[in-house]
Amino acid sequence: MHKRAIIIDDERLARNELKKLLTDFPEIEVIDEASNAEEGLQKIEALNPDLIFLDIQMPGKTGFDLLSELDRTPEVIFTTAYDEYALRAFEVNALDYLLKPIEPKRLADAIHKLDEDEKEHIDGESISVNRSMLSENDQVFVKDGERCWFVKLSDIRLFESVGNYAKVYFGPNKPLILKSLNALEERLDEKTFFRANRKHIVNLRMIEKVEPYFNGGLLLEIYGGDKIEVSRRQAVKFKEMMSL
Amino acid sequence: MQIKLSKISAYWWCQLTGWGGNALMNFFFAWTFNRAITTPFIIRSFFIVLLGLLLTHFMRWNLLRLNVLQKTFDKQIFYFFGITFGFSVLYSLISLSLFNILGLFTPEQKVYSFSRLLIGSSINAFVTLLVWNLIYFIYHYVERVRKQQLDALQMQSVVRELELKTIKAHINPHFIFNSLNGIRALVDENPARARTAITELSNILRSSMQAEKLETVPFEKELAIVQDYLALEQMRFEERLKVNFDIEEDTLDLPVPPMMLQTLVENAIKHGISKNVAGGEIKISSKFAGNHHELVIRNTGRLNGNFNTDGFGISSTQSRLKLMFGDSANFTIADVNGDEVEAKVKMPIEGL
Repeated sequence: MHKRAIIIDDERLARNELKKLLTDFPEIEVIDEASNAEEGLQKIEALNPDLIFLDIQMPGKTGFDLLSELDRTPEVIFTTAYDEYALRAFEVNALDYLLKPIEPKRLADAIHKLDEDEKEHIDGESISVNRSMLSENDQVFVKDGERCWFVKLSDIRLFESVGNYAKVYFGPNKPLILKSLNALEERLDEKTFFRANRKHIVNLRMIEKVEPYFNGGLLLEIYGGDKIEVSRRQAVKFKEMMSL
Repeated sequence: MQIKLSKISAYWWCQLTGWGGNALMNFFFAWTFNRAITTPFIIRSFFIVLLGLLLTHFMRWNLLRLNVLQKTFDKQIFYFFGITFGFSVLYSLISLSLFNILGLFTPEQKVYSFSRLLIGSSINAFVTLLVWNLIYFIYHYVERVRKQQLDALQMQSVVRELELKTIKAHINPHFIFNSLNGIRALVDENPARARTAITELSNILRSSMQAEKLETVPFEKELAIVQDYLALEQMRFEERLKVNFDIEEDTLDLPVPPMMLQTLVENAIKHGISKNVAGGEIKISSKFAGNHHELVIRNTGRLNGNFNTDGFGISSTQSRLKLMFGDSANFTIADVNGDEVEAKVKMPIEGL
């Protein structure tokens, strides 16, 4: 395992300390560091790291704000002095966090865990040539009020447009993210995510039933019981895709 | 056996003075109406008082056994009249029987039948016992109200003390752990700075623990803590934090509430400097303003009207000043000069 990592923390001393601790782990290569969220965002977009060490309390934007602005989040290990309550906001996902001053043993565990997660996903690995497109295995960070999730795209069954926001359906949750449906459609793989109508993008792997509908349209029933109408124009495209 | 006067309970004082007064009244009326004070009259009076004492004491025993005073108001009234009535009849029955056996009836009494005497005597006794019970119930009622007031007062002072303690003991754990992390990095990079940083952190921790015990500290001590605190924050924020002191020498001896300036400076860092990517400056000044000691903390930043959301420092400062100085101290916080927030504390100098 080799991982390219960026450290994002507003304190130079804290970054130095973490870098020093990471010298014991040759598989983690620290390629850059950032002292605030804005700088962090730019460096993540430019360098596309596999892993970020992220402080939560930073000037300007917090670590959570940074994550919500990313289309695709790398693996994240939070480093924080005293924010256990904030981390409890995380519901489903297995995310790791380190309390500063960081215990070397805990750091080793966290890195070991990354390694294991990777082995599990080795089959599903898809090398996407075009990094601007999101693949099924990419994860996104979703924050809705106090609660946060890391969600794999393959677990999302539906995006619904609500004004400037999009409602993301996965598991029992339907949080809102500040992204338009059109912007999402551009980034999503159209083989998996299908624009059914003006208001909905459906995950094709999550469809349970297809029924004919008025005007030559279709009615899709997706897991969880939601029914989505497919406009006539899109229905033609849908049938084309399905017959392939 | 010796009985000390102070050992006699209020109950027995009332019993003795009450029944003694009753006997005296009997003699007084006999004297004013020119009745002969005969031996049977004296014996009768003696029996009336003795029987009264014994019966009312027995009545009290019943009141206590039935727990009448703890019952609801309706039930208390019911018991009050029931017991008064019952004991009046009992009282006159016993006293009349006693007089009958001992041949102590007055010549007038001998004219009436026993049942008529019983009714008349019961009515008399009812009035006496009614007064007895009224005194008993009212005494306990007043006593209970007083005790409740006392409890409420004690409660208030306990709450106040606790409030003060929690306010004083407040040191941001985020700050402590971040400082420790910084110190660990400095151990290799700058061992000398690491050593002073440990001293500074110890000073802050020690004073926050001592703050619980003290009402006030000299401003000089409080200032030393704030300087240590800011030195540690500068270790973390480096060039992002600038600090500026303007202290009038004579204010150093003035007493101030412990950890108050510290809380305000901590707030200034938390809301002003740490939120700003470019950092900022903190200015602390202490001077005389009339007969007040004026502390001013200025930091780069804006209030943006959101200081209520995390107003712990503000509300705690306000309540601490109020508790210590009443209305003669005052605390304000406002946007000034376009890009600064100013927190100002005015404390009366001879108010302590």
